[in-house]
Amino acid sequence: MGRQVAIASAGFSEHASKRSDVSMPELVSEAILDCLKNVPSVGIEDIDAFVNGNMPAFEGSNIPELWMTDWMGARNKPLMRVTTGGTTGGSVAISGYYNVTAGIPGVDTVLAVAFEQQSIGTTSVGLASVAYGEISVLNSIGIPYEELTRLLSGGAAIGVASYQAANYMRRSKITEEDLARVVVQNRHNAAKTWWTHLKMPDLTIEQVLDTPYISYPLRYGMVCPASDGACAMLFTTEEKAKDMCDIPVYVNGVASVSHETAVLGYNGSGAGQLDPSEQLGAMKSAELAFNQSGISFPRKEIDYAEVYAPFPNQELMWVERLGLFEENTASSMYESGVTALNGELPVNCSGGVNSTNAIGASAMERPAEAALQIMGKASNQVPKTVHTALGHGWGGVINLITMMVMSDEPARKFK
Amino acid sequence: MSENKVIVANKGMVRADFNFWVGRYMDKFYDNFEKKKVVGNKCQKCGDVFVPPRKICGKCNVVIPLEENWVDLPDTGILKNYTITPYRVNDRSSRKAKPQIIGMVQIDGSNTAIVYRLLNIKQEEVKTGMKVKIEWSEKPKGDPSDIKGFVKV
Amino acid sequence: MEKVGIVGYYQVQLQSEANYGRYEMIFEAVRGALDKGGIKKKEITTVISSTNDYYDGRTISNAFTVEVGGGYLADESKVEMDGAHAVLYGLMRILSGNHKLAVIWGGSMASCFPYHSARLFETDPTWERPSALVNDITAAGFQMRAYMEKYGVSSEDIAKVAVNNRKNAAKNPLSLKEAQYPNLTTKEVLESDNYADPVTELMVSPLCDGVAALILAPEKQALKITDKPVWITGVGYNQDAYYLGDRDLSTSKSMEMAGKVAFKAAGINNPKDEIDVAELFEMYAHEELIFSEALGLTKKGQGANLNYEINGDLPINPSGGALGGNAPCATGLIRIIEAVKQLRGEANGYQVKDAKKAIASGQIGMCAQNNIIYVLEGEN
Repeated sequence: MGRQVAIASAGFSEHASKRSDVSMPELVSEAILDCLKNVPSVGIEDIDAFVNGNMPAFEGSNIPELWMTDWMGARNKPLMRVTTGGTTGGSVAISGYYNVTAGIPGVDTVLAVAFEQQSIGTTSVGLASVAYGEISVLNSIGIPYEELTRLLSGGAAIGVASYQAANYMRRSKITEEDLARVVVQNRHNAAKTWWTHLKMPDLTIEQVLDTPYISYPLRYGMVCPASDGACAMLFTTEEKAKDMCDIPVYVNGVASVSHETAVLGYNGSGAGQLDPSEQLGAMKSAELAFNQSGISFPRKEIDYAEVYAPFPNQELMWVERLGLFEENTASSMYESGVTALNGELPVNCSGGVNSTNAIGASAMERPAEAALQIMGKASNQVPKTVHTALGHGWGGVINLITMMVMSDEPARKFK
Repeated sequence: MSENKVIVANKGMVRADFNFWVGRYMDKFYDNFEKKKVVGNKCQKCGDVFVPPRKICGKCNVVIPLEENWVDLPDTGILKNYTITPYRVNDRSSRKAKPQIIGMVQIDGSNTAIVYRLLNIKQEEVKTGMKVKIEWSEKPKGDPSDIKGFVKV
Repeated sequence: MEKVGIVGYYQVQLQSEANYGRYEMIFEAVRGALDKGGIKKKEITTVISSTNDYYDGRTISNAFTVEVGGGYLADESKVEMDGAHAVLYGLMRILSGNHKLAVIWGGSMASCFPYHSARLFETDPTWERPSALVNDITAAGFQMRAYMEKYGVSSEDIAKVAVNNRKNAAKNPLSLKEAQYPNLTTKEVLESDNYADPVTELMVSPLCDGVAALILAPEKQALKITDKPVWITGVGYNQDAYYLGDRDLSTSKSMEMAGKVAFKAAGINNPKDEIDVAELFEMYAHEELIFSEALGLTKKGQGANLNYEINGDLPINPSGGALGGNAPCATGLIRIIEAVKQLRGEANGYQVKDAKKAIASGQIGMCAQNNIIYVLEGEN
């Protein structure tokens, strides 16, 4: 049925807390030009279709892909917009895959671009607006906004994430030091990756722990930044990819299984899942993606992983949920260096979302970096050969997930 | 379900401020607005002149370098299209007021059109193809409102 | 392109102020579509929705709709365009072979947000937005004037489209009540309040609340699920330049290019003769003429001479089209559903005889910047 899809290139713009030197379309154009720079045989006129996405709350712009048509090179070309909040980048990448595999006449080479220019708006307002509708229902039955913040459903990302962190800590018995260790590893990695935001090569665990709490157990020093940036990926057919680059990266498994919203529930009705660190959606996504790619033992068969973790507890949680490590063992994997650059299963050598978070783009930057590691072209390239890698994203009200599993061999070789 | 019963009513305001970066091309454009001048930039491939200036030419898909191909343009232009509407739209609501004439003007020497009000003119006098001229505001600030509108030449 | 079938559909009653919440409406639409196809929730593997954060007044507008949209523990995603574009993504997911059943839903409640203000957020914030002179209202005026002046079409001819569509809407029970005008005259249309000269209020599609859903399946499954699957045999989509000054508003280049791709895929060489019925998303009456010309149903400037009435040569919008009710994010999807009804012989009261091949379109952006068009065929 569907055609084998390959990634031929990935590109980034510079990420910073304020990209005040560019307008939104120019920021996107930067990532596209970087992506095409790596494939000299491909010009923008060779692109058959585009997919674009961001999280529109942050820039006060509705469907901005219309405005930036020319800057993307998309004039009178097919274009689709996919937005799913925090997972947008991953959803755009997955959509890029579907665009190519579907085999719709005329659509072979697809440019997927995800971006965010958060400095234009206010991050906390943008994030909180996901739940205003539900919060107002609770307000009208007498629960004031401050109480809701205490119920950890207000404050959006931090509120729910710290609730999720507390649950995970209870299950796995990790300490705050374990959390700080993840942060230090990420920030050191970011220092060696050209496009990242928080480059901190000398950060120590003590420095991270010496910052005040935002919401237990998360401290200021542990939290991701808000960044401006864009990412672009080039998807095409197996045949065309072989002409474009030395090592095409085959997209063998994709999934984005959603769960019910955590804590609040729709209309403020509450949620059935009591433990937001359980993440059934993630586990099912991983299962689907691994099945599609012919992977039976992710712990052994995945050589590299980029997981989406704005907060360090999530990185520990995801590597377990996605089947890379046994439950409650992640912290010891970080402590013993298994996930380090030269470890058995390196994780987030780009610095992850903890070091750079342009929300619309970050879920695409995970599969993009994973693909570059397979190509041998990543900025902070791991020393071992990477054959199979995964890129993951999460978002929504911690109920949306994206997964992309890639390899230097097409899926049919594994089935 | 009953027709007119209000079940839940909630009123509140959330303030969301946005400050848009215009990029360096538009920066130069607005600097010239402060001097009551219109500048555009020209695609080195097809020769199209853009007002406001752009980094990428949409037809040719080439980058127009920032420091090159700037074109000084006159205050005059041709009215390509117009409409007359009583609606005023802002980021919160829309309402009806006295009709205003809004025109799409192609500045002489450029290949695109800008949209502004037509001032001091009666509806019956407006015709596409007529020559118009910019009316600048007294003290330009370097933003789109520096052009108050267009008047008939 | 392999055949993908539409095996179920449902459209809620369009209302200008529906007395229920978005979740109930979405549930009604998706549940209705599943029931129509005789499909169980557990058989759904993927759900694609179409909503818009600014229209829903919340970011990640699909986050809370997972449960009601049938997406719980399903591979779910969201397109931020017209419902017709969500069908495109669902189509891709079926063609990939990864999924055997896709639920598509889309819609919003126009009564709950200031539409023109939300549309204003589409405009270039560094140049056009501060003055708010480029908005969806003025864009309509520019487009109609450009079309009339280029081809010498009269407002009377354009008013006839409004008359025809609103008459058709009166026979479609699901259309917006306030849009139904069984005895409208062109004089009334021309004398209705000015919207953006030369567009008058009755030429503008009225906003309303609505959600619609449909179900897609690959050929083999579609034939098992229903004995009347409707096949998607061609699709084309295209996006014009953004700035109104960069475009020729008297035609729709994006619709023309999208149409060419769709017709080629469906093996249609002469759309005027081969298509039996068209459901086109016309934001304004004049857009219907512009689209029929762009699609080659008639020569440029001759749209008014096409007999597009329900008993005519090529009926356009027998359901009333968007002029019969425009629920943002649902309208293009509803056009597809209406075309499906025609091909299945289920358009009670406004059925086009012997409809075998249809086209349906959706759009987003000022002056229909991005258009998508489908060619649909009934099962004989």
